[in-house]
Amino acid sequence: MPYTEFQGGGEGWPVPNRDFDPRRAEEHFRTYVDTMAYAEECGFDWIGCNEHHFSPYGLMANPNIIGGALAYRTKSASIAICGNLIPLNNPIRVAEEYAMLDCMTGGRFVAGLMRGIPHEYISYNIPPSESWERQREAIQLILKAWTESEPFGWEGKHFQFRQVSIWPKPYQRPHPRLIVSATSIDSAKFAAEVGATMGMVLISDLETTKDLIRVYRETARANGWEPTADNILIGMHCCIAENSEDAKEALRVGHDYFQNTLLAAVRNAQRIVLQQTRYHKDDENRDRWQKRLTQRAGQTLEESIAAGTTLCGDPGEVVEQIRRVHRELGHGIFNFTMKVGTVPDEVVLRGMELFRDRVLPHVRDLGTTEEKAWNAVSAR
Amino acid sequence: MERSQRTITLASGELPYTVVGEGRPVLYLHPAGGVRWTPVLERLAESHQLFIPVLPGYDGTLFHDGVDSVPALAKMIGEFVDAAIGVNCDVIGHSFGGWVATWLAVERPDRVEHLVLECAAGFRPALPNGVPSDPAALRAMLFAHPEKLTGEEKPPEVEAGNRTATMHYRGPVLGVDDALVARLGEIENLTLIVHGTEDRRIPAASSQLLRREIKHAYLVYIWDAGHAIEIDQPERLFDVVDSFLKRSEAFIVNWGTTAIPLSS
Repeated sequence: MPYTEFQGGGEGWPVPNRDFDPRRAEEHFRTYVDTMAYAEECGFDWIGCNEHHFSPYGLMANPNIIGGALAYRTKSASIAICGNLIPLNNPIRVAEEYAMLDCMTGGRFVAGLMRGIPHEYISYNIPPSESWERQREAIQLILKAWTESEPFGWEGKHFQFRQVSIWPKPYQRPHPRLIVSATSIDSAKFAAEVGATMGMVLISDLETTKDLIRVYRETARANGWEPTADNILIGMHCCIAENSEDAKEALRVGHDYFQNTLLAAVRNAQRIVLQQTRYHKDDENRDRWQKRLTQRAGQTLEESIAAGTTLCGDPGEVVEQIRRVHRELGHGIFNFTMKVGTVPDEVVLRGMELFRDRVLPHVRDLGTTEEKAWNAVSAR
Repeated sequence: MERSQRTITLASGELPYTVVGEGRPVLYLHPAGGVRWTPVLERLAESHQLFIPVLPGYDGTLFHDGVDSVPALAKMIGEFVDAAIGVNCDVIGHSFGGWVATWLAVERPDRVEHLVLECAAGFRPALPNGVPSDPAALRAMLFAHPEKLTGEEKPPEVEAGNRTATMHYRGPVLGVDDALVARLGEIENLTLIVHGTEDRRIPAASSQLLRREIKHAYLVYIWDAGHAIEIDQPERLFDVVDSFLKRSEAFIVNWGTTAIPLSS
């Protein structure tokens, strides 16, 4: 959930909060919860949000609080927290709060276990170099906390607990569905190794994504299980309007704000993390990352629609775009980020209604008969 | 560690200074109490070459003709950098020295690299508290942990001379140096501002003002440190300053144990 009054500025990290207006934040949070609750009425199977720190890019310092607000505003939609940044948090606290949400929703909870991006590590003073091993250890610990039938202790490298016995335990047995971000070869393998659904939001291109899905499937098989389409989550920016030009204009403006204003400080933080020393000893590595960071930013809206990485247009166009992406990737869960930067709230709401009335009826049965559930997450 | 005592002749007079350590040059500007060799300087000298001039009039030295204000002092220090260091350098200024360092960054941006301001004087939004004449009361004002102060006390006449020197340069400026504040926006240097949470001499608002007005600045509070920040919490202060000098803005990242080793 972006703070859309941010005017930009500054070249470093973090983003100064001197101009933060709590009254606007109150409106943003209220609108956000109302919109997510309305998403259920519009036929979305999942609704969800994520975690970010120290930036107008996202005000969800703890998305579990929003999860709690949504638990009693919804009846049937799954609430997907995608998710807590596992290496940064106390894993026992994550296990407890997620178990609470699962109980509060009567088992409608989906547990995102994310690694986070570099600026989050600066915010919480965790060495970025430890992200992988912290993620690996924390997920194992969380699963133990959810599934052990007796109190247990944990003497790990990063986490030590002499005795653990959480109350409550999750509603779902053995535990809620897991989602792990899988936007690199290593992370796709990891998601498969821990039996999680692979999450790929804001994909860069279809070919790379296909490769990641292949690696994920191969690794899952090597670990003794067979993923279904429902184990693959693809996320994209999405704008649907009555006519194509209105949709594109709204998303173009919102996307520009997202890329050039909201993400500017995040890119600064990435640069700082990659810089390592005052003398830029690792120039080659830094340049490679910078190129990757700017690649997506350099694409026009039309280019990203043509590449199959953005959904935008009138309902008929979006139906075709969804069909094309599904034909290419064979995924079962589609995450639509509809509040992109400054896209007006009324455009988001109208887009959700158009999705319900003129898109969903044409795409709900995509996929095999056994996997016909067509899930979608609303705004991130 | 050997400290080399030297003297250089500038246009306005002779200036004694200390050189210690090896590495990138760092100019250190002392507070109104004069030069004090602290654990922070000791640690910094392990990987930097510190240049520590005694500002004219302090610690029993003579004033320089025509050097009678903080900006004039900064101009003279600029000449010292040219003559004694000869290359660009990082600058650390503590309290009164931070005030001089800020003027130096404004007047001689060609010579200053990174800037470190330790609870800098010159930016107090309210009139300063009076300085107690009773030594015990003074220590209580300046230190969160006066028990950490070791070494010889300066003779009363030197301390009195130091107070006179500060009055000499400060002139009518009691709270905020408006002329300098108006120019803070000119500072392009990456700047670290450190402030003790228990500072009873310089209010946090002074450092907050600097953070707001200097473009590329970071403010770090040192917990449980008073105005004598280098004595009260030397380890915490050293960790922040040393990391800043070596990693620039990347000092905000926790590098854990697998980072490229810190070296000068």
